[in-house]
Amino acid sequence: MASGSPGAACVTRETVQALSTRMREPDWVRARRAAAWDAFEQLPMPLVTHPEKWRRTELGDLDPGAFCLPNGTGDTAQPRFIGTIAREAGERAGLVTHLDGSLAARELTAAAARQGVLLSDIATAVREHPDLVRDHLMTTVAMPDEHRFRALHAALWTGGTFLYVPKGAEVVLPIVSQTWLGVQGCALFPHTLLIAEEGSSVTLVELFASTGDGGRTLSSGAVELILRAGARVQYAAVQEWGLSMWEVGSLIRAHLARDASLRSLVVALGGGLVKVDVESQLRGPGASSEMLGVYFGTGGQQVNFHTLQEHRAPSTSSDLLYRGAVKDTARAVFSGLIRVDPGAQKTNAFQANRNLILSRGARSDSIPMLEIMADDLRCTHGSATSHLDDEQVFYLMSRGISRKRAAFMIVEGFFADIFDRIPRERVRSYLRARVAEKLI
Amino acid sequence: MAANNPLGIDLDHYEWGFRDPEKYVFKARKGLDREIVEMISSMKGEPEWMRAFRLHSLEHFLRRPLPTWGADLTQIDFNDIYYYLKPTDGKGHTWEDVPEGIKRTFDRLGIPEAEKKYLAGVGAQYESESVYHNLKEEWEKLGVIFLDTDSALREHPDIVREYLGTVVPPEDNKMAALNSAVWSGGSFIYVPAGVSVDIPLQAYFRINAERAGQFERTMIICEPGSYVHYIEGCTAPVYTTDLLHSAVVEIIVKEGARCRYTTIQNWSTNTYNLVTKRAVAYRDATMEWVDGNIGSKITMKYPSVYMVEPGAKAEVLSLVFAGKGQSQDPGAKVIHAAPHTQSTVVSKSIAKDGGRAGYRGLVKVYPGAVGSKCAVRCDALILDDRSRSDTYPSMEVDEMDASITHEATVSKVSDEQLFYLMSRGIRADEAMNMIVRGFIEPVVKELPLEYAVELNRLIAMEMEGSVG
Repeated sequence: MASGSPGAACVTRETVQALSTRMREPDWVRARRAAAWDAFEQLPMPLVTHPEKWRRTELGDLDPGAFCLPNGTGDTAQPRFIGTIAREAGERAGLVTHLDGSLAARELTAAAARQGVLLSDIATAVREHPDLVRDHLMTTVAMPDEHRFRALHAALWTGGTFLYVPKGAEVVLPIVSQTWLGVQGCALFPHTLLIAEEGSSVTLVELFASTGDGGRTLSSGAVELILRAGARVQYAAVQEWGLSMWEVGSLIRAHLARDASLRSLVVALGGGLVKVDVESQLRGPGASSEMLGVYFGTGGQQVNFHTLQEHRAPSTSSDLLYRGAVKDTARAVFSGLIRVDPGAQKTNAFQANRNLILSRGARSDSIPMLEIMADDLRCTHGSATSHLDDEQVFYLMSRGISRKRAAFMIVEGFFADIFDRIPRERVRSYLRARVAEKLI
Repeated sequence: MAANNPLGIDLDHYEWGFRDPEKYVFKARKGLDREIVEMISSMKGEPEWMRAFRLHSLEHFLRRPLPTWGADLTQIDFNDIYYYLKPTDGKGHTWEDVPEGIKRTFDRLGIPEAEKKYLAGVGAQYESESVYHNLKEEWEKLGVIFLDTDSALREHPDIVREYLGTVVPPEDNKMAALNSAVWSGGSFIYVPAGVSVDIPLQAYFRINAERAGQFERTMIICEPGSYVHYIEGCTAPVYTTDLLHSAVVEIIVKEGARCRYTTIQNWSTNTYNLVTKRAVAYRDATMEWVDGNIGSKITMKYPSVYMVEPGAKAEVLSLVFAGKGQSQDPGAKVIHAAPHTQSTVVSKSIAKDGGRAGYRGLVKVYPGAVGSKCAVRCDALILDDRSRSDTYPSMEVDEMDASITHEATVSKVSDEQLFYLMSRGIRADEAMNMIVRGFIEPVVKELPLEYAVELNRLIAMEMEGSVG
């Protein structure tokens, strides 16, 4: 059960030490957690350090130090989607399940294991493959001192998936990682580390969910994707948090080496407040990144996405498409930056954001930005915000379709060009069904 | 040459960098405090309310931190600037009345010649004070007022008091507060209901002294159904120290009226140009900003239109060129605060020789502004690999029934385009010029012919040597 409720400072330096002791962590992990805790204590709230990025997010009196870590397991009634997306064992190469911040189960097919693929939670990886974790965990991709929530994450990470794909290995079936929080009023800091070695290929699908309404719950996650030369990775993160969840300051960041290719999809359907950075750094020539996003805010949800396409090497390409809808009094913020560093010639970068406002009272902000420091390139971005087109609704209704059904068809059509780019039918049909439910 | 030079632009590189010997009737000491502000106010013989307005603004300026976004302003030493320089006693109503030295300056810039040929009225400001203001009689008879703002305060205090600070309050931003504290000169235009001033009015702004600041305050009031086109140009000498120009422009466009405001900014590249320009458009009114930024070291300027009644329209055309050492951060803000308002923003930026050009903008649609439409288009050309282009648009849509689009592209002049033209026998540099001219055409075509010609020549000049 929950070991406390928000209000008093629940997490302290001792909590961090106790966590290390309970997990029997080596000294280097202990030291890093302690340093991150120092950074957390020193850093002000991100509105102070990064005003432009945080001023549209209404955190209210949120105190990140006032949440306890889950202790034991709570509500084990898992959401429907766990098991929906890769139901049959024969449809996946591996599965990791995290319940309330600890590993509950893991499996990996013999075929994948034979190729040398490693799949576990991070805590296990620290014990079994310390060198790999030590070299990569929050050392090159994500940094503990980027802002206050990231520092807290670095001090308290628990759960999360470690996936290592050796050179040349090709994992055909997707690997699924699922994270479930069944406890109210506590905080979760899942950390995913994926290393795809040269020429390897893999698909990782991550699902996040938590129990429904109740005391406010905090999550601040980090996903580090490391793609070595020629690696091909498909990554999907689908989140269906309960409405009491505030996911604040989460990060999905990829480093792409020469000729690496990443296709990412981020779906945000749940959560009371969701604020996630999704970033691709193209660090080697020929690297390419496709970034897709879907968000749908209903009720009083706040959804914030900040994307970065950073071209650090020549002849790289990125293609971003985020589509979001807001209904009731929901508020969405999309801000996306394409940055082309000096010397990154022959860059081809594209960014598009489309927003649909479905109710009076819903709000949508779109901030597509460009910072271009090379000349031989092509960068474009586009943004459009509109509402349900009366003429389209009328057209459908004149064919005998009810208004409700017509609205659904138009919204489905709005998301279709992202859904159509998702290669797995099970994910597609699941998302369609969820959008339909939220529309009611 | 000068006669064809309404903008102070010539084929030679920054010809207008010359300076006159400093001969001032009065030059305030450097720096800014309560005493300086009171001195400016008393020298101008202002009413008490204006003195209070200035002092209130000064307090706000001193309290307010520098903006942390945009270009780097930390190099400005606000205590190393002359805030008030009075070049002459009285103001000329004919060019002959203007003191010889100053007249020579404006002759070189071609202003008197331009007035004769194609302007309805001309104002000329030298440092802090207006030295010449004239409106052709036919417009005066119709009740049009075209004065420098100091004279307007004396002659029409009620109108000035009614509108001053209502569009840009001193608390709006730090530079607006500074202007409100030390403003001097600027144009005041009042167009009575139904009067259409169908040839442009122009004002020309010149800074001459080293470490000088110019803080003109311009107000335009268009009564219902009227029309006016106002053009401003600006130049300054080249110094090793920096100059500061911080204007405030307030425009009120009433029901069914239309106002067009054209700026050709060609400050020397040691000038900080930090300007607040804003218009309020009422029912069915139209406000158009045509904003050309060629000069200055740093420009931060975001012409805005608040559409506060149904049917108001806004158009912003922004053209910016950033060369060596320049950081151009212009943009636009369109605020849809009433139903069925429409706006268009077109921005064209060119960066070259390590310059930094961009667009920063805001589209805001308030709840209830049903049927609002806005389209923003930003195109950028980068001409070499040392230059930089930034685009920072924000769209905040709080109304369901609105349609907002934004598009931007950044590219270089493609080899195919150059090759195509060259295969038709056109030289490389000329081909480059043609492509750039085509790129800026949507903005340039909105200028009166004389200005369009000059602007094209200026761009051609800036483009020199860009084909290696």
